[in-house]
Amino acid sequence: MEVILKLKEDIVVPVELDALLPEKIEGMDVEEIKDIEIPQGRRTVKVGDIFHVEIEESDIPRMTIKNSSMKLKRVGEGMTTGEIVIEGDVGMHVGAEMRGGRILVHGNVDNWAGRGMKGGELIVKGNGRDYIGSAYRGGYKGMSGGLIVIEGNAGHEIGEHIVGGMIHIKGNVGYFAGIHAKGGIIRIDGDVPGRLGAEMIKGAIVVNGRLSQVLPSFKYEGIVENPVIKIKKKDEGVRIEGTYHMYTGDYVNRKPKGQLYVSVNKNPHLA
Amino acid sequence: MEYIIKNGIVFDPLNRIDGEQMDICIRDGVIVESVSEDAKVIDASGCVVMPGGIDSHTHISGPKVNTGRLMRPEDSYKELYLKRGLKPGTGFSIPTTYKTGYQYCEMGYTLGIEAAMPPLKAKHVHDEFVDTPQIDKGALTLFGNNWVVMTYLKEKDYELCAAYVAWVLKVTRGFAIKIVNPGGTEAWGWGKNVHGLDDPTPYFNITGREIVRGLCKVNEMLGLPHSIHVHPNDLGHPGNWKTTIETMECVKDIEPKPKYGERETVYYNAHVQFHSYGGTSWKDFESKGAEIAKYVNKSDHVVVDVGQITLDETTTMTADGPMEYALHMSTGNKWANCDVEVETGSGVVPFYYSPKGPVYSVQWAIGLEIFLNTDPSKVILSTDHPNAGPFTRFPRIIAWLMSKKYRDYWLNEVVHRWARTRSSVGDSDKEYSMYEIAQITRANQAKVLGLSLERGHLGVGAIADIAIYDIGPEEKDPRVIERAFRYAKYTFKRGEIVVKDGNIVRETFGDTIYVDVKIDETLEKELMKDLNEVFRKNYTVQMENYKVPEYLANNWRVIKIDNSQIS
Repeated sequence: MEVILKLKEDIVVPVELDALLPEKIEGMDVEEIKDIEIPQGRRTVKVGDIFHVEIEESDIPRMTIKNSSMKLKRVGEGMTTGEIVIEGDVGMHVGAEMRGGRILVHGNVDNWAGRGMKGGELIVKGNGRDYIGSAYRGGYKGMSGGLIVIEGNAGHEIGEHIVGGMIHIKGNVGYFAGIHAKGGIIRIDGDVPGRLGAEMIKGAIVVNGRLSQVLPSFKYEGIVENPVIKIKKKDEGVRIEGTYHMYTGDYVNRKPKGQLYVSVNKNPHLA
Repeated sequence: MEYIIKNGIVFDPLNRIDGEQMDICIRDGVIVESVSEDAKVIDASGCVVMPGGIDSHTHISGPKVNTGRLMRPEDSYKELYLKRGLKPGTGFSIPTTYKTGYQYCEMGYTLGIEAAMPPLKAKHVHDEFVDTPQIDKGALTLFGNNWVVMTYLKEKDYELCAAYVAWVLKVTRGFAIKIVNPGGTEAWGWGKNVHGLDDPTPYFNITGREIVRGLCKVNEMLGLPHSIHVHPNDLGHPGNWKTTIETMECVKDIEPKPKYGERETVYYNAHVQFHSYGGTSWKDFESKGAEIAKYVNKSDHVVVDVGQITLDETTTMTADGPMEYALHMSTGNKWANCDVEVETGSGVVPFYYSPKGPVYSVQWAIGLEIFLNTDPSKVILSTDHPNAGPFTRFPRIIAWLMSKKYRDYWLNEVVHRWARTRSSVGDSDKEYSMYEIAQITRANQAKVLGLSLERGHLGVGAIADIAIYDIGPEEKDPRVIERAFRYAKYTFKRGEIVVKDGNIVRETFGDTIYVDVKIDETLEKELMKDLNEVFRKNYTVQMENYKVPEYLANNWRVIKIDNSQIS
């Protein structure tokens, strides 16, 4: 079953949509879906008040949000299966704590996309902002599985406290990418202003663009070609094409095992 | 207002009532012989009736609890308390003050003792007590690393030390003497710790033995209702069980002389589970819970509370600064550290006791081993909230104790195999009876705190703090036990129904209990001469600003002790 939600008009007060998971609304009819209560600011409204709802045939549980805006928050939070397609931008916490399924966003996403994600896929065609795949504020366990792909740029502190899984940013990122990382792989195709992997203990970060500076607490290990990245010894490994400067760190921790791969071609100023 | 609780099955260990079906009459907040015809009848047939629960060691208020709340927004996110007509609250291991009060009350608890109040921060503790509803409160004042105490004890000037303790208890409105890692927290000011009972602290050159013995003597000189409340040295170190027994042994010859209450012991060992470790490192770590239990059973001067690990993600907080640093270094988790000038220090670190962790599983088993091997009149149920687990897990601990089947399920299916191979918890067939549960959750606490004249029992004249649980006395189903003790059918606070069917129906604000000992005037003058100097030289506050003002409580309940003969 596919549910198509279309915003009736632009909303000002944000709405939380974690009650509308494809697996939860599977099998409901239009009227039932319109009757679901969702919080808008400090009030509770019904889905039918702000969305046009339609149902179409589909083999998997699907939900499409048309005319979406940054005011829709917590879309797909905790989902385990199915697919959500968002045509437009979407607000904070999209795909937070998700365990499976797939979310496809055709616009931009706000902060905390894929926060604490445990599995599944989150694909964003536009730009992301801060804390992608990170832990909740104050928490120390971030994304632990699954895949996040951002085709545009991203903000600061992406993959904060990442424990597993992969984040792939095809554009540029801000400061402190992979801070406190304890596992997982972060791939950045664009440029990084610096402070990459601060306090990381484990995990790997690959930079294909320009990195202005490596933190002084990282140790240079030499140049590697087409490295196969393994986080644990038993891992199959992820093979990456290209020539990289390799660093380990962050040596502000005791016995760190973090790996940093920085493209040789784009970074003639390093090492 | 009059009530009569009819046909309940009463468990009241202090009056030796073991499961008798009887009626309890309440008038004007106290239990009385009989009531008039107009009394409201509460039908408790088939239910268990007990005195209100008492938590004698918990951290619910004050600067370090608040630091925990501030540094852990992720804990706040985990649990939400939203009920119509009540203040909303958040937090799983370090709930907000209102949530703390409500949840204790839902479980039938009516008194909680905050276990570590630095005298300098007493105002903060009492200010949070004002906002903790439903339960009565008291705070143990920290003395074990206090410069003034250490100086007097080194000079063996017990009278002046007693005068100082009495003065601090009065001005900070404290309830009893708490000692945390004697000498160790002070050594942490030098970046060190002390190891064992006879390792002197830097500068003051005084050992833990001198501090514990000295303060125990002072405690009995003053005749305080509660005994010294001790968190011994070497908490959480493999092999620390010897230190624990040595510390218990060192006050053996001191006589209990309370001037209020019916206490018979001189030493309260807090969270003894953390002090019962064998082995030399975490690799050969093993349980010595049975040895500790054996010692406690044969000694008349000791009561222990267990500090049972509940295998949850929680927040550790203690005045044992060096221990928290060690915890931070071993886990890499965030850490808060504080030095309280002249008096003590503290630390806070979040911690996850994973059931899959070998060491944590053994810790879990050690707690149960102590429960199962100790005489139930000498052991107290606590989780050292929130250090070993939040207090809302008490019902689960009760279920582990009452049902061997449930305990074995956890032992064999949930926790790591080390719990089976390195402890003897699987060998014990003991199942706690309802009477023994009443002992370890209420009666023992009331007695050791010295409050058993009016609390912790259901005799005529006692304050009408009563819990009624919807459970048969022979019930063995762990799910029923857990549910029944988590949500009391009724809780009475001072003769009023405050909880009905697990819901708060009436918000009340309890008393704050403190001790005021009157001492000899010439002695007090001598003390003031010294203290003026200490405040001028060492403190950042004036003496007048140090005192806890009258308005920082909903209602003070003072225990006055006249002890003007010590001089």
